[in-house]
Amino acid sequence: MELDVSGARIFYTFPFDIPILGKITINETLVVSWIVMAIITIACIILTRNLKVENISKRQALAEMIVEMANNFVVGNMGEKFRYFIPFVSALFATSLISNLISLIGLRSPTSDLSVEAAWAVVVFILITRQKIKTNGFGGYLKDFTTPIFVMTPFNILSELATPVSMACRHFGNILSGIVINGLIYGALAVASSALFGLIPGAVGDFLSKIPFLSVGVPAVLSVYFDWFTGFMQAFIFCMLTVMYIANAAETEE
Amino acid sequence: MQQVQDLVTIIPWNFVATICNLLIQMYLIKRFLFKPINEMLAKRKEAADAEIRDAEKAKTEAEAIKAEYEQNMLEAKERANEILSNAQKTAALQSEEVVREANRQAAAIKAKAESDIAQEKRKAVNEIKDEIGGMAVEIAGKVIEREISEADHAKLIDEFIANVGDAS
Repeated sequence: MELDVSGARIFYTFPFDIPILGKITINETLVVSWIVMAIITIACIILTRNLKVENISKRQALAEMIVEMANNFVVGNMGEKFRYFIPFVSALFATSLISNLISLIGLRSPTSDLSVEAAWAVVVFILITRQKIKTNGFGGYLKDFTTPIFVMTPFNILSELATPVSMACRHFGNILSGIVINGLIYGALAVASSALFGLIPGAVGDFLSKIPFLSVGVPAVLSVYFDWFTGFMQAFIFCMLTVMYIANAAETEE
Repeated sequence: MQQVQDLVTIIPWNFVATICNLLIQMYLIKRFLFKPINEMLAKRKEAADAEIRDAEKAKTEAEAIKAEYEQNMLEAKERANEILSNAQKTAALQSEEVVREANRQAAAIKAKAESDIAQEKRKAVNEIKDEIGGMAVEIAGKVIEREISEADHAKLIDEFIANVGDAS
């Protein structure tokens, strides 16, 4: 039994090079990302169809609830002046969540490609830095690295850079580990199944041992944790950290 | 063998594409979820505000009507009191008038009765005077005939009766 956990498949490679970007490819990560975007956008359009002022439908109530939750999340954690972050944080959360959960229907999560989380983390990092410069001025931002004493500067730079790296790797690691563990469990259950039904003598046993019966049911239990729970948690944690870091950056130092 | 990416790697193209995707997704969510919902919420808020304004207006009107009503009631009460006191005054005047009239009539009746009684009494006295005079003349004539003339007798008797009348 061989188990191969590999990266996203590449469907097509454009036959030219672009400087810095390298080869342009159509790969699984991108295709599934587009599917995720389509799902989110279609869901938004369906949710906001036939909006009424009173006597609202359940669909509209759900849409309003989602909007309220997003508002409360951002405004509650960041304050009223960061209202313009609501669409960004919502987009981040929705994309992350649907990307994590899309593995449930057999597609490969875009979030199991480190490029995706790295891109998100870098965007967040840029926002944090922008906020810090906005709050303290560029000089203040640079001076902040020398606190509490000048010797600490390298460590401060390291810790600053560790923020996006840790954010990206945390999310990526959780999703990837889910994929790896799920792959291992499917493989192990197939082996166990084949060994169990191989005990039946004759052609029947040969035939039954080819079908991984044990793969039905058991992985579903584990999927509750590795797909549902982790999927929700990582999306939530990523957005929470984004919000907290930006809100912290906005706090002026006394 | 199908080409695959490395398991843990950052591919610049995917990186850039993801950033673009995130920004596009942000726009799409803003456009298709937040804009319509927020517009609708604003409309609902507007409607609720309008309801409250209407209610306040109605309340003000109702209070004005109430004040007017109370004013009217007060005036009506005052008028009623006035009418009542007028009626009482009139009644008192009338009853006084009635009593005075009655008194006057009673006095008149009394006076008339007194004058009647006096007249009757005089009449009776005169009659008795005449009768007694006749009887005395007759009796005296029978007792002492021819001793005295009838004229002298009559004069004497009249004097006597006048004395009797005064004494009675």
